[in-house]
Amino acid sequence: MTALVADNITKSYTSGRVETNVLQGMSIDLNERELTLVLGPSGSGKSTLLAILSGLLKPDSGHVSALGEDLWKKTRGDLEKFRLEHTGFVFQGFNLFPALTALEQVMLPLDYLGLPKHTVRNMALASLEEVGLASRAHLRPIELSGGEKQRIAIARALAKKPQFLFADEPTSALDSVNGKNVIDALHRVARVYGATVVCVSHDTRLAADADRIIHMADGRILSDVKQISASSPSKPSPTEAKS
Amino acid sequence: MVALARKTLIYEWRKFLPAALAVAFSGLLLLMMTALMFGIFSSAGVYVSRSGGDIWAGYPGTQTVELGRPIPRDTEVWLHMDPAVVQVEPFQWLDGDWRGPVERGSVSVFISGIDPNPNGLMFSHVLSAVDRARLLEPGAVIVDAADLSKLGLGLGIGGSASLNGHRVKIVAAANGLRTLGGVNIVTSIATARTLVGDPAERDKVAYYVARLAPGADPDAVRDRLASVAAAHRFAVWTHDEFAYNAATYWMFETGAGLGFIFLSFVVFLVGVVITSQTLFAAVASSVREYAMLNALGAGIGALRRMILEQAFWVGTIGVIVGSVVSVSLALLAHGQDVPISFNYIATVACGVLVMAIALISGFLAVGAINHLEPATLLR
Repeated sequence: MTALVADNITKSYTSGRVETNVLQGMSIDLNERELTLVLGPSGSGKSTLLAILSGLLKPDSGHVSALGEDLWKKTRGDLEKFRLEHTGFVFQGFNLFPALTALEQVMLPLDYLGLPKHTVRNMALASLEEVGLASRAHLRPIELSGGEKQRIAIARALAKKPQFLFADEPTSALDSVNGKNVIDALHRVARVYGATVVCVSHDTRLAADADRIIHMADGRILSDVKQISASSPSKPSPTEAKS
Repeated sequence: MVALARKTLIYEWRKFLPAALAVAFSGLLLLMMTALMFGIFSSAGVYVSRSGGDIWAGYPGTQTVELGRPIPRDTEVWLHMDPAVVQVEPFQWLDGDWRGPVERGSVSVFISGIDPNPNGLMFSHVLSAVDRARLLEPGAVIVDAADLSKLGLGLGIGGSASLNGHRVKIVAAANGLRTLGGVNIVTSIATARTLVGDPAERDKVAYYVARLAPGADPDAVRDRLASVAAAHRFAVWTHDEFAYNAATYWMFETGAGLGFIFLSFVVFLVGVVITSQTLFAAVASSVREYAMLNALGAGIGALRRMILEQAFWVGTIGVIVGSVVSVSLALLAHGQDVPISFNYIATVACGVLVMAIALISGFLAVGAINHLEPATLLR
């Protein structure tokens, strides 16, 4: 079922006197229970597309509709509320707070939902369990490897069971084993929770695990392919998870 | 709720230490300036603060001892008529012209004529019974040890000089008689009378000081005496009131107080600028994490509150560090006879100003996330 619709969106940046058209009238429908991989070289506009779809960046024109609501007709506060309730993010930089333990990193965004403390704690623990890091819950970022940090970031994004999960180059800082773990986790979010997962990358290794692959260049879609048999994700064991 | 503000403050304490120190030392500067100010100007009230007695009577409207004028002699009787008053003594205050043995021109001095009896009230905290007895000798005077050099080089105890044209002899030196604005020469009321220029005024004094029975309320006595005082051309103040009047008179009538307030404002401004810059840098270094939280739906208002909370803790730590350093320095200064004096209200005011420095800095540091764009996290 279609969960996220972008209709004829354009975006351009002005740098000095030079205006660059990053997206040129792009339309796209994204389905729930699918991991959509957006591939393209640097400057192809894929990150800008992700920012607009996720409600982080306002397009110059066009509409983005998520769960039937026009995102860019909302106020900043309403948009923050929408993101809080429905959206998870995984970025290339892990953006973890140095002072917090893995468990606290995951609990933090849940706190803003106003849930009772024990519920927040249980949800965060379950999410860490999901990415195979329950045993590392008490560690701070400095004590974790890059792969573990990214999985903490994923646990943080999916702890609230979001309808949408947006990932920007989530594997670029990781080796192939950890990269595979991360993409498996994203795939599972789509399959198990029925979320709409959009992952932007230039890492073609991820293609095997995606349900749908969109190739972009110069702000346009070059190809849009659905893969029928994406490899089934497996839950990583804690030993496999350590890197 | 995960206590992100506090945990970050503790974990990344090196980032926030400069801000806390900026707050602490702004507070130290404010407090020490205030203490010095009160220390220096409390010497304006030496006549009152170093003396016993609970009630002062003087010329109506007198702001400070140096501005005293002769009052009617029957003032002493009116004071005695109040049931709470158990002792009344005259206090003569007049200007003097001192000429020492070495020719160095004349020195402007203040002459205090006091009751030399052992139980006398004036300067009872400074002069011993032995010193007071020495004043019984005609022409005997006592000065502060620190003023000896001002009165003529080489003039020590036993030295003599000319005061208002009369021969006087220094019989003792004491500590704690220095006043603001001039040398304080203490003598007996009998000697002081001989030094008054106008013979018609010789029998009149500028003040009467009264001691009350133990447990009597000075405020109540002052109120009781107020109407009779108004009818007989004198006024009454409590001991504390008169000392306070003297200090505030010097502080605000001389412009020194205004200078002090201006300087406090400068310290406040410097504190805000330095603290806000260091806080701003600390917040800006975590801007990506804040952007992440905002992307995940934490409202910008919640993030601002968190920064203000950090500023509050920085202020609290600053106040604690500042207090510890202040107490240490105050003890050091006390040992070196530096004139500092702590006033309860002024100290609390300094604490409030220091917290204001921290919180205003927090509001300014919030600027670091004012243009937070979580989209910049996407590359």
